[in-house]
Amino acid sequence: MKMIFDWLDDRSGYRTLLHEVLYEKVPGGARWRYVWGSCLTFAFFTQVVTGTLLWMFYSPSAQTAWESVYFLQYQVWGGWFLRGVHHYMAQAMIVLLVLHLMQVVIDGAYRAPRELNFWFGALMMGVTLALSLTGYLLPWDQKGYWATAVATNLMAEVPLIGPAIQQVVVGGVEYGHHTLTRFFALHAGVLPAMLVGLVVVHIYLFRKHGIHVKEPRPKKDSYFWPDQILKDAIACLAVLLAVVALTVYFHGAPLGPPADPANEFPARPEWYFLFLFQLLKYVPAFWGAVIIPVFLALWIFLQPFIGSTRPGHQLNIGFWWTLIAGSVALTLLAFSEDSANLRHSAALEEADWQAERVLSIVQEEGIPPAGAVTLLRKDHENRGRNLFAANCASCHRYNGHDGRGYPLDDAQSAPELAGFASVEWITKLLNHEHYISEEYFGGTKFKNGTMARKVLAKYTAEEIALLPRIATLLSDMAELPYQPPLSEDEREELLALFYNDDLVFQDGLACIDCHDIDSEEEGYAPDLTGYGSDEWTIAFLENPEDERFYGDENDRMPCYGRDGKLTDEEIKIISDWIRSRPSE
Amino acid sequence: MSDFNEEESSGRRKFIRVTTIGISAACGIFPLAAGIPALLDPVKKNSGESAKVPWSKVAPFASLPEDGSPAKFEVVQETVVDAWTTYKDIPVGAVYLTRKQDEVIAFNLKCPHLGCAIDFRKQTNDYFCPCHNSSFALDGSVTTENSPSPRPMDTMETKVEKGQVWIRFQQFRPNIEEKIPLS
Repeated sequence: MKMIFDWLDDRSGYRTLLHEVLYEKVPGGARWRYVWGSCLTFAFFTQVVTGTLLWMFYSPSAQTAWESVYFLQYQVWGGWFLRGVHHYMAQAMIVLLVLHLMQVVIDGAYRAPRELNFWFGALMMGVTLALSLTGYLLPWDQKGYWATAVATNLMAEVPLIGPAIQQVVVGGVEYGHHTLTRFFALHAGVLPAMLVGLVVVHIYLFRKHGIHVKEPRPKKDSYFWPDQILKDAIACLAVLLAVVALTVYFHGAPLGPPADPANEFPARPEWYFLFLFQLLKYVPAFWGAVIIPVFLALWIFLQPFIGSTRPGHQLNIGFWWTLIAGSVALTLLAFSEDSANLRHSAALEEADWQAERVLSIVQEEGIPPAGAVTLLRKDHENRGRNLFAANCASCHRYNGHDGRGYPLDDAQSAPELAGFASVEWITKLLNHEHYISEEYFGGTKFKNGTMARKVLAKYTAEEIALLPRIATLLSDMAELPYQPPLSEDEREELLALFYNDDLVFQDGLACIDCHDIDSEEEGYAPDLTGYGSDEWTIAFLENPEDERFYGDENDRMPCYGRDGKLTDEEIKIISDWIRSRPSE
Repeated sequence: MSDFNEEESSGRRKFIRVTTIGISAACGIFPLAAGIPALLDPVKKNSGESAKVPWSKVAPFASLPEDGSPAKFEVVQETVVDAWTTYKDIPVGAVYLTRKQDEVIAFNLKCPHLGCAIDFRKQTNDYFCPCHNSSFALDGSVTTENSPSPRPMDTMETKVEKGQVWIRFQQFRPNIEEKIPLS
């Protein structure tokens, strides 16, 4: 064995090199405050290795990016872990960058003769942030898509060449295949290569000038090996354990629903860019894209010179602390504004719902070559909610929201439709107080109609006790998928009750005096034959002004089919969706 | 006394060295180790029992030449899954079909040697692989003595139902004597 190493050393001189690397002097002894650079190198190494492995699974195009990430996350053995480590190590890198920067600033290690290395460090920070930004888009989910759209729009703020830069980066005017191929080439090729080059120069310069010692020196001088390396290794291990813990706890990195330009999503960048996001609420985009970065670059360039005097050094430290404090404050503000915003929470819940929904469809029917987004677009469940939100929710409600979970600003002016035509829903409808409340007809002219004034308001306690049974009989006609049909005997029993002349209605009116049920006459009130069934609901949505329903009495309910507001397919989807489940 | 101190100190140094190397090695190996299961996933998926080969409808029985000479057909499979994509009704390969009374014999177009496409030669009434000159008789058997192909052409299960030829289309491991399906 020794012979082989001797042979190698003769040819390469590796022992001298190794000796030089390991026996770098550490004045004042090994210290924990020196570990951040090594931790960052370790983090970058991890990203290069895990990134290369991810490369074996990733396919950058608008129809395959999300799909290949989905496959890795859910179908490949340990794929979620690999992806999770890459995702959380990227976040750890940002934290380590800030720690490294602050150690350099506080210790004054940026001052002569180390100016050049400080600038190189700042460049590396920029490249790392660019890596984060480009990586965020690659899964091509809603979150990455919408957030990156904002980031690239900021590029256009650069005077004169901004729009051109944006088009070059995006690979055209619209987001698509070339956005992904370009971002991927930047993320996996250009930027890492730049970072490798910068790391080499950074470490060379660091070695040239040696460690900048923070006085007073706590111990006598020692060497890099093994004292400082032990501390570095322990710190790297701590970073690694934290990343593994996060990966296991969250079961890997999140994957939202596939990107869809027609499906709105509240754009938010990754948490470490949130301060910039928040800042753009107060200052014009030009500031965020140009003025602030230029000012920062200028400050970083001048910082070694400013810091040459003691007050200057204090100013530098103050500058960075202020910047950090400001960023933390803005980040917290962004979080608190979002969590107080009900629409924002609803949008996140909606995205979660879509992500789960698309997974369950994929498990059932696989992903077509056109991509997973087409599955959601044609999914009746998803379209039902969206059609309801777009067409019905300005007046109606669904479990109090717009069908998707979004709260609504306008007052409700038509009935709540969750659990439509179910026994429970009809029972409530026949309750006078409910009928005239906002939850039902309170916002319509029917609030003061015959049904409210002359029928429901006048029920006796005895009659009210009968209502659930009438509701049961009516609801059976709806043939709702979640309600078991009545047996013949039950039906007979209820029908006997319904057609019983002795049924005590104080005013002598029975339902069929106004409503038709299984008869050909055109009663004054809506025909209840097959009430709530697929056929009835579709016919009603098509034309509520038909003699069969409200006729002239219709109060603002649009005739979706008659007036061509919705296609037959869309009306059918809404009907299916409303009738698909009980209220919550 | 000083001997004792030195011994203790060297013991401590050794501990530090071993610990440092141990932790550094763990950190160094970790990124690769994190991806090893994912990397080996294809092997793992292959080691299980292969899914049942589906029947694919190839052609009407009547379209096969009555004299038993072969005809080439595309095999369209109803569902093909490639990693994340599920394709519907796409060609997965081609076969030569030969009529033998009421039955049909199917040969995979791919040469069992190294997977080139085999031609049918009308003049000599045999199969010939233009890559490495393997030749096969109409029954699929190897005809040349020093043929590069280690086995006859690959046959597959067929059936005729309601006038249609159905086939269980499969690929086989190339260049070995035994016919082992790829799953």
